[in-house]
Amino acid sequence: MFDEVFLPHMAEAYRLAQWLTGNAYDAEDVVQDAALRAFRGIKSFGAVNARAWSLTIVRNTAYSWLLKNKSKAVVFTDDLSPAEQQKLEHEGLHGASVETPEEIALFKADAEDVQRALAQLPAHFREVIVLREMNQLNYRDIAEITNVPIGTVMSRLSRGRQLLITLLGDRK
Amino acid sequence: MIASMKDNDELQMNAYCDGELDPASAIEFERRLAADETLKAQYNRLLSLRRTVRSLPQFGVPAGLQARIQSALDADRPSQVDRPGWASRPVQAGRPRQRSWSFQALAAAAVFGAVISSSVMLTMERYDRQEDVARAVVAGHIRGLLAPQPFDVASSDRHTVKPWFTSHLPLSPQVPDLAAQGFVLEGGRVDVVGHDPVATIVYKHAKHTVSLTTLPRGQSVSDQAIAGYNVRSWSDAEFTYIAVSDISSEDLASFERAFSEGSPAPEIK
Repeated sequence: MFDEVFLPHMAEAYRLAQWLTGNAYDAEDVVQDAALRAFRGIKSFGAVNARAWSLTIVRNTAYSWLLKNKSKAVVFTDDLSPAEQQKLEHEGLHGASVETPEEIALFKADAEDVQRALAQLPAHFREVIVLREMNQLNYRDIAEITNVPIGTVMSRLSRGRQLLITLLGDRK
Repeated sequence: MIASMKDNDELQMNAYCDGELDPASAIEFERRLAADETLKAQYNRLLSLRRTVRSLPQFGVPAGLQARIQSALDADRPSQVDRPGWASRPVQAGRPRQRSWSFQALAAAAVFGAVISSSVMLTMERYDRQEDVARAVVAGHIRGLLAPQPFDVASSDRHTVKPWFTSHLPLSPQVPDLAAQGFVLEGGRVDVVGHDPVATIVYKHAKHTVSLTTLPRGQSVSDQAIAGYNVRSWSDAEFTYIAVSDISSEDLASFERAFSEGSPAPEIK
């Protein structure tokens, strides 16, 4: 049962864990912990979507692990004051306005820049982008995994991408 | 900044980029895209970001992690019976990732092309329908695995399974016995694809379950891996067959050969 449900998604689980924790060692611990949780909780698996179920466990494990071990390293938008949230939503991370189309060439950012920019994003923005682009999940599955309505997934994706664009643009 | 996009536009653009707009809204959005230079620039920027993010190196599962997890699980539940299939799994876990890259390239190309020609939308829609069929069939397989038994009628006798299908479904496939080729007939079940009940024949290969779903001809899907299961599809004069299993794609290919050869000519009534 566990073999059929959790194991086929190991590679994806690890990839998600690595993006959420930011490094390979932590990701291994998180996946191992998540596998254990999944193994113990396999009886509660009643859904059809084994992939979403597995990734949900990985995601939640990653967050509780981060909060326990590196609470300072994680920024949740919920933790910010309303004014800060407002600022983040409307201006981006460094108060920079979004560039006008004329100024925007295609990105020439190298992998390191992009990885750093992704790591700088608040967790809630980063996770939807990772789930969408790296794990290639659709909105419905992302909503299920992150436990928010689809509308919130949409706005976080949109805002997260804007923030990334701004961060990568700032680099010049 | 000169032209700030309205929030709604921004959301729509993202949804379009992710292939999550309904066909009518997508066509409407393409029309606007063609007419609005600013919007087009924003959209190109979004595509550029996507390409950049997706071209990041992907992390592979480190060697030894599976083994560590297994020993952690064994420690957790020492009385656990041995779990067949574990040893063959690492190879399987790697496969969907490779597949997803070629899929990624395809999806990116499709999205990009849609900007130029809305006729591409038709192709994408057809592709989506195929994807839906494949997903529904895999979902049936997974449900089967989670149920106490993966079939509604249990029999290794094809003269039991075939009549059972005939009495439950408007169209029923031949049910060949392939035990000689290593695929033991276990039984049959009814899956629902779209809104139609269809026949699924269940075979066992080694300790792995193979679900063979039979659809009316013309619904073949591409061979792929979904949720860790290999999917293989082929058609004959009457049916499109979709086989789903966690056995390797090579084994699935020999299953197709065995089934095609073992399937007797349609009976004439």
